Amino acid sequence: MNKNRFFLIVQREYLETVAKKSFIVMTLLMPFLIVLLGGVPVLLEKLNKSDVKTVAVIDETNQLASAIKSDEAFHFELIEQATEGNPRQLYDNRGDELYAIVVIPRDIESTHQVLVYSESSVNSVLVSHLHTAMSRVLTDAKIASYGIDGLDKILKECNIDVDVRSIKWSDEGDEQTSSTELAMLIGIVLSLMSYMFVIMYGSMIMNSVIEEKSNRIVEVIVSSCKPIELMLGKIVGVALVGLTQMLIWSILLGIVGSIVGIGFASTEAQAVAGAMAEASTDSSIIEMLGSINYLQILGFFAIYFVGGFLLYASLFAAFGSAVDQASDASQFTTPIVMIIVIALYAAIACMENPDGDIAFWCSMIPFTSPMVMMVRLPFDVPAWQSLLSIAILYASAIGLTALSARIYRTGILLYGKKNSIKDLIKWLK
Amino acid sequence: MNFLEVKDVAKQYGSHIALKHVSMSVDQGSIYGLLGPNGAGKTSLIRIINQITHPDSGEVCINGKPMTADDVNKIGYLPEERGLYKKMKVADHIIYLARLKGMKRADAQVEMRQWLERFDLSQWANKKIEALSKGMAQKVQFIGTVIHKPKLLIFDEPFSGFDPVNAEILKQEIVRLRDEGATILFSTHNMGSVEAVCQNISLINHAEVVLEGEVNAIRQKYKKNLFTVLTLGSPLPIYNDLYAIDKMSVNCGNTESLIRLRPGVTIREVIARLNEECNLGGFQELLPSMHEIFIETVTGKPVSEGGQYNE
Repeated sequence: MNKNRFFLIVQREYLETVAKKSFIVMTLLMPFLIVLLGGVPVLLEKLNKSDVKTVAVIDETNQLASAIKSDEAFHFELIEQATEGNPRQLYDNRGDELYAIVVIPRDIESTHQVLVYSESSVNSVLVSHLHTAMSRVLTDAKIASYGIDGLDKILKECNIDVDVRSIKWSDEGDEQTSSTELAMLIGIVLSLMSYMFVIMYGSMIMNSVIEEKSNRIVEVIVSSCKPIELMLGKIVGVALVGLTQMLIWSILLGIVGSIVGIGFASTEAQAVAGAMAEASTDSSIIEMLGSINYLQILGFFAIYFVGGFLLYASLFAAFGSAVDQASDASQFTTPIVMIIVIALYAAIACMENPDGDIAFWCSMIPFTSPMVMMVRLPFDVPAWQSLLSIAILYASAIGLTALSARIYRTGILLYGKKNSIKDLIKWLK
Repeated sequence: MNFLEVKDVAKQYGSHIALKHVSMSVDQGSIYGLLGPNGAGKTSLIRIINQITHPDSGEVCINGKPMTADDVNKIGYLPEERGLYKKMKVADHIIYLARLKGMKRADAQVEMRQWLERFDLSQWANKKIEALSKGMAQKVQFIGTVIHKPKLLIFDEPFSGFDPVNAEILKQEIVRLRDEGATILFSTHNMGSVEAVCQNISLINHAEVVLEGEVNAIRQKYKKNLFTVLTLGSPLPIYNDLYAIDKMSVNCGNTESLIRLRPGVTIREVIARLNEECNLGGFQELLPSMHEIFIETVTGKPVSEGGQYNE
């Protein structure tokens, strides 16, 4: 390896990629897209709310209809039975203005059934609205029918909801409240990030290899440097591009997020904060957030991310060298992407049981460990397992890079032949 | 003195033998032609000299010493299948290639300016490669090959993609680089350019060197006692004991004939006899062209006689 040449190749790869229009556009737009995607459901909900649907209620019992209260989404209109007759007739008369017709049957107290007539399938919000309202009024009626004083209070007291708080001992023996959900969330986010970036930057490397090959520049370059220098230079260059992109994204996302956050602060953000405060009755969210060792997780994330990236990147480079055009590459990329997707599924499966056998073995297999370990990390993996898994990952990354380099140096100079995996294995010799 | 020496180099890809014990030596400061049909092994040999691939056996020496990894910086290589990064700017690209060959940025800039000037490309320095015409891109490629002042230049089909005007400029540049002391290995199918610029050649066929030596000596060796005779006013008399007439054409009363001397007959004899009988306007020996020798050696059959001869 010639250091100067290697850095020269890294530099070119980095500068040329960063200067590409597609890169600049993608880097600048992505945070806005993310915020937009996050904002769309909120917006849609707002739009939905403005559209109040009218629902007719036919109450055959003549007493329960008052339990169904109108809200922002639905306006309930009580129909006098005598005037309008059966639901079909009513719908025929006023079909245009009615979303649905609810019938509370006379025998509801024994059948516990409410009927909803409508032309299209019924909105689930309406169903749950009716379910809650009718269940409550029937329950209350039932309780009242026993004629026991204060029974409703007794029953309310009997309805016990147990709050499970997990407390883990830190090394110093302090008690810390930990949140399983939060740990899972952090794990899956990191895992998804590894997944996304490996595929994204992996294909960036592959395309760069294919471009050099189809441009026919590659023979000129390898007459000046060793193929492995070119391949590693490319991998390191793209890794730096990835880091740059992530850095810009996090800065932009922070800025955009806070601007949008201020805009929503009065309504949604407060509602969310309120809900969160409600959820964590006495142990504050802040405390739980504090119980997770961010520095450690971030450190491990970096180690696994780099290892996983190297492992897959050299594969992408080797496969890129085996084809003449990008359109031929799918026969090779499909298997890699499948492996990466399997790794992601393994990670999701391991969320349920982060200390189980599957989790353990998937942490040892280098192709899955970068993603699976992200999910396991917040749950304190035994040190020996982390170390062993990192050692296996890096050893296989180095080994695979060496093998890929052999495929690469043969592949880049071979044109006009569709190569199969079998050919690639032959090139290893 | 031999600048480049290829000693007994063999290379095999799977079951395909690319080179069978090929040897060759190239004099310092000469232009050496590497000829051969497609698939004969030229590119394999060139890639071995460039250290892109390594021989199964044998070695390559530069200046009498086996090549080391650093020697690639002494070589400039223009491959047959060549290209550039389309999105890079001309100046950046040339400097990148120069620095890959170990040149300092500042030196590369000085050299580049001169070359761009010479090829009339100065105003294109800050344009992207993709904006260039094919001929201009080829010139940029050429500059990228020679900018680091390599002692050994390897050109694989250098003229492909050049129009005749630019090919001529390129030929002059190659000769100029030779005069400045570079040793040049020249692989081509263009036999006209071989005769024009190469002192020595090796002809490779089926992974082996089948013919090598000085261009003039080879042409002498392959000569077939063919002569063109110009007779003024009358047709060439027929002397079957001296020669056979292959072709005859009359032009403005003068006759040009292609004759083949009988074995053992000397030029002196023929001229003496003809001088007695007719008015001799010209008498010239025809040497076979490299083109003809190439085809004859590769296919084993002579080219249709009197076909593509040049003087």
